[in-house]
Amino acid sequence: MASPLRRLRAALEARTQAWIRRRQGIDPEPLRLHRGRIYILPTPLGLAYATMVFAMVLGALNYGNNLGLGLAFLLASLGLVTMHHCHGTLSGLEIRLTGTESAFAGRDVAFHLLLVNHSLAPRPRIELNVARQPLAVTDVPAAGSASATLALRAQRRGRVPLARYEVATRHPLGLFRAWAVVHGEHAAIAWPAPAERDRIPPGVETDTGGAQDFARGDHDFAGLKPYQAGDSLHHVAWKAFARGQGLHTKQYAGTDVVSHVFDWDGLPGLGTELRLAQLCRWVLDAHERGEAFGLRLPGVAIEPNLGTAHRDRCLDALALFVEGQSRA
Amino acid sequence: MRGLPWVLGAIAAAVAPHVAFLPAWIALLIVAAVAWRWTADRRAWPLPPRWLRVLVAITATLAVLGTYRTLNGIEAGTAFLVLLAGVKLLETRGSRDLTVIVFIAYFLLYAALLRDQRLPQLPYLLAGGVFSTAALIRVHAGAAGDSARDVLVRSGALLLQALPLAVLLFVLFPRLPGPFWGITAGESARTGLGDEMTPGDISDLSVSGEVAFRVRFSGEMPPPAQRYWRGPVLHEFDGRSWRRPRAQAFPSQPVTYLGEPVEYQITLEPTDRPWILALDIPAEWPEREAFRTYDFQLVAPRPLSEVSSFRLRSYPRFLAGVELPKSLRRKGLQLPEEGNPRSRALAGELAARHGDPQAIAQAMLQMFREQPFVYTLDPPKLAEDAMDEFLFETRRGFCEHYASAFTLVMRAAGVPARVVTGYQGGDFNPMGGYLIVRQSDAHAWSEIWIEGRGWVRVDPTAAVAPERIERGLIGAMGEFEPVPGRLRDASRLWMQVTLGWDTLNDFWNERVVRFNAARQLDLLERLGIDDPDWRTLGLAMAASLAAFFVALSTYLAWRFRPPARDWPARLHDVVRRRLVRRGLHPRESEGPVAFLERAATECPDLAADLAEIRDVYVDLRYGPLPTDTDLRRLKHLVNRLRP
Repeated sequence: MASPLRRLRAALEARTQAWIRRRQGIDPEPLRLHRGRIYILPTPLGLAYATMVFAMVLGALNYGNNLGLGLAFLLASLGLVTMHHCHGTLSGLEIRLTGTESAFAGRDVAFHLLLVNHSLAPRPRIELNVARQPLAVTDVPAAGSASATLALRAQRRGRVPLARYEVATRHPLGLFRAWAVVHGEHAAIAWPAPAERDRIPPGVETDTGGAQDFARGDHDFAGLKPYQAGDSLHHVAWKAFARGQGLHTKQYAGTDVVSHVFDWDGLPGLGTELRLAQLCRWVLDAHERGEAFGLRLPGVAIEPNLGTAHRDRCLDALALFVEGQSRA
Repeated sequence: MRGLPWVLGAIAAAVAPHVAFLPAWIALLIVAAVAWRWTADRRAWPLPPRWLRVLVAITATLAVLGTYRTLNGIEAGTAFLVLLAGVKLLETRGSRDLTVIVFIAYFLLYAALLRDQRLPQLPYLLAGGVFSTAALIRVHAGAAGDSARDVLVRSGALLLQALPLAVLLFVLFPRLPGPFWGITAGESARTGLGDEMTPGDISDLSVSGEVAFRVRFSGEMPPPAQRYWRGPVLHEFDGRSWRRPRAQAFPSQPVTYLGEPVEYQITLEPTDRPWILALDIPAEWPEREAFRTYDFQLVAPRPLSEVSSFRLRSYPRFLAGVELPKSLRRKGLQLPEEGNPRSRALAGELAARHGDPQAIAQAMLQMFREQPFVYTLDPPKLAEDAMDEFLFETRRGFCEHYASAFTLVMRAAGVPARVVTGYQGGDFNPMGGYLIVRQSDAHAWSEIWIEGRGWVRVDPTAAVAPERIERGLIGAMGEFEPVPGRLRDASRLWMQVTLGWDTLNDFWNERVVRFNAARQLDLLERLGIDDPDWRTLGLAMAASLAAFFVALSTYLAWRFRPPARDWPARLHDVVRRRLVRRGLHPRESEGPVAFLERAATECPDLAADLAEIRDVYVDLRYGPLPTDTDLRRLKHLVNRLRP
C-alpha cells in the first residue's frame, strides 16, 4: 500500500519542484531571500501540536472549562506566533557561494556558502539541504555571517553541479518548517580517481634533452653558489655551513628543469577512464615528489610546471576531458 | 542530550499538581522514570531494549485500565498521560521524542485546569506554560549553549506575543452549550458539607478559612440572625451519626411564603457535591439547574465540580410542611433501638412535665443556657453513648453536638425533629460589595415540627453562644481556640489584604471562570455591537486575527530591521537623492567622494557647497577626532543644498 502512495508523493514533489523552478528561474549571486520565495508548512510535530490543541478546545468546551479553553487558545496563538517567527528567520537572509573544493571521484566535493544576516535579530538553526538530506546546520548571528559547507559525494569525474538546494529552518519551536529553494549554476569539479601505483611513469625530460630514465639529476654535482632566500633546504651545503663558510646551496646540473610530460598517447590499449586514472596517478606522484610535469591530452597541452595550482589545472583538465573533442 | 534537563523539569512541574490525585504506584513510577532518565543521561547508560519498552507500555496501560476501568475522564486520562510520559522517557533519543514529552506536559497542565480553575491556578499555569515552552525552545535551539535565563526570557516573550490573540479568541470564540459527551464525575475529597454528620465533623470543617461561596444581594442584605444557608437535611440517626436518607421518594411539601423576599446571586466554589446552599427557605431557582427536595434543600442535578453560580429568591419567613405525611413523621421520630438512656430519660421527663413541643424545646434551650455548657471548637472525644456523655458529663461541644443532642431529645420526647447542616452568617466584603461565606461558617441546627406551624428552626447553639449567630465564630470563641481568620480580625491591614484578595478571586470567578455565552453577548453589546450573533462573532474573530497578523508582522519587521547607519552615511544619502533628482546618477564604481567630485564639476553652481560637504564628510569618516560640531555642520550644509 505504501508504494503507490510514495510514488504519488514523489510525482507530486517533482511537479512542485518543476513549478518552483519555472517560477524562480536561475538565482543571481549573491542571493537575498525575499518573502515571496519562502514556503512554510507545519512539520509532523506541528500537526501533532495542532491536533493536541484542537482536542484541548473540544474538551474544554465539553467540560465548560474556561481556563482550559484559555490555555488551548494560548497554545494555538503560540503556534501562529512561531509560524511568523519561523518565516521571519529566513526572510531577508543573503546567501553567497564563496568557493568550491574539488575532490576525486568517489569522495565529497564541497561548496562553501556564506550566509549573511543584514538584520539586528539572529537567525538560528539555518539548515542547508540537498535532495532532502540536511547537509549543514548553522546559526547566523545578528548583523553578521556564518559559513556553511555542503559536501556532495561525486559519483564520477566531471562537473558536480549544485543545481538545487534548500535553505530551511524550524526555529523556534520546530512546529513549522520554512524553506526556500535555490537554483544555481555552480559546479565543483570531481577529478578522476587515481589508478593504483602499478605502471611506471614515462621517462624524464630535461632541458639538456634526451631521456634519463628515472635517474634524477641530483647526482651531477656542479659546485656551490651563495644561498638565496627561496633555495630548497634540501640543497643547502650543511657541511660547508658547519665549517663556518656561510650558507651555500649545492648546484646540480639540470636540477631545476627535470620534467615529465604525461601523454595520453603513451598509454595505448587502455580505455578512456583507465587512461585518465593513470595520468591522474602520475600527476599526483610527480607533484608529491616536487617534480615538474606537463600533460598532453588530445586537444589539451599543458606545459611542464610546478606547484599546487598547476597540479589542479592538470587534474581539472583530466576531469573535464571529453574524448573526441579537440580544442583549437 | 540537548534540552533533556529542561524537558525533565517541564514534565516534573506538570505532573506535580496531579500527584495528590494519582495512585501511589503511578506517582512513584514517574518520579523513578524522571530520576532514571536524568542519571542515564549523565552516566551515558544505554536505553532499555525495544521489547522491554513495549512490555512496560502494555503493562502500564493494562494497569491503568485495571485501576480505573476506563481511559476516559480526567482521573484515568491523567493517569494514562503520566504513564505515557514515563514510558516515553525510556526511549528519548531525538528531539522528536523530547518534543512529544513536552506536548504531554502541556496536556497535563491542561488537565490540572480541568480539575481546578480557581485563581491560584493562574500562576501555576503561567509558570508551567513558560517552562514547557522554554523546554521546547531548548530542544530545538542551536548547538550554542544559551543561558537558562535567555531561554526563559525568550519563552516568556513568545507567550507574551501570543497572549493578545489568545485573549481575543477567548472573548470571541462562540461558546456552545455543552457537554457533547458524558462527563465522568471525579471522586475527590474537597472540603465541604457531606451527607453525614458525626460530632467533630463540622468543627473540623470550621478550622478551614477557605471560601465556600459568595453572595451578591440585589437589595438589602438580611441581618445575621436570618442568614441560615441551608445544606443537607439529616434524618437518620444511629446513636452517634446523622445521615441524609439515600431514598428521596417523599411527597414534596407545600410552603407558604411570608414577608419580603430576598433576591441574590450565589457563586459556589466547587465541592464535587450537588448542594446549593440557598438562604432558608429557597422560593425561586432556575428551573433546569436545580430542584428543591421534600426537606427544602436546593440541589443541582449534577455534582458541582466547577465554580457555579445561581440566581435565587428566598423568603426568610415562611410556613413549611404544615401537613406532615405519615412517612415523614416516622422519619422524624426514628431513633435507634437503644443507647443514650439518660438522654431518653430526660426526654421522657420533659415530655411528662410540659406536653407542648414548643415548651419542651424551650426547656432544652434553657438547660443549655443555664447549666455550664461550653461552646468550643475543641470538644473532648466522645465514646459509646456519645450524647449522654455530652449532655451530662463533658458539656463541651460545637454546634453539631448541640444540634445532635437537642434533636435526639426532641425525638425521644415524641416531637418530629431533624438536623439541618449548612452555613450561618458570613462576612461582608465592602470592596467587592458581596458576602463571603467560609468553611468556618459551617453550622448545624435543628428543625422541629409543630402542629399548625410546620417545620420550625431551633438553633441550640444560639442558646449557648448567642454571639456565634450575631458575630460569627471569632466572636463566640475563647481567645485560645484555633479559629481561622483571627489575624484578619485583629489587624485592619491584614483584613484589607484578605478582602482584596477575595475580591480578586471573585472577579476571576465571575469574569473568567464563569464567562459564558450570555456574558459574551453582553460584553459585545457593551463594546457597541448591536444584536450580536454567531455571525458577528465569526466576523469579529476574523478581523482580530487579521489585525493580530499585521501587528505581529510589523513587530517582526522591526525585530529584523537592519542596523542603523551612521549620520554621515545617511546625510550622504540625502545629498545623493537630491542630485539624482537633478539628473546626476552615481555610477556603480563610484564611492561617495568620487561622486561628490564629479557632481561638483558637472554642477558648477553647487561646486563650492559640494566641495565643503565632501571635506566635512571625509573629516567625519576618516578624520582623527570627529566632533558633534562637524556633524552639525554637515547637517547644515546638506539642508542648505537645494539643487
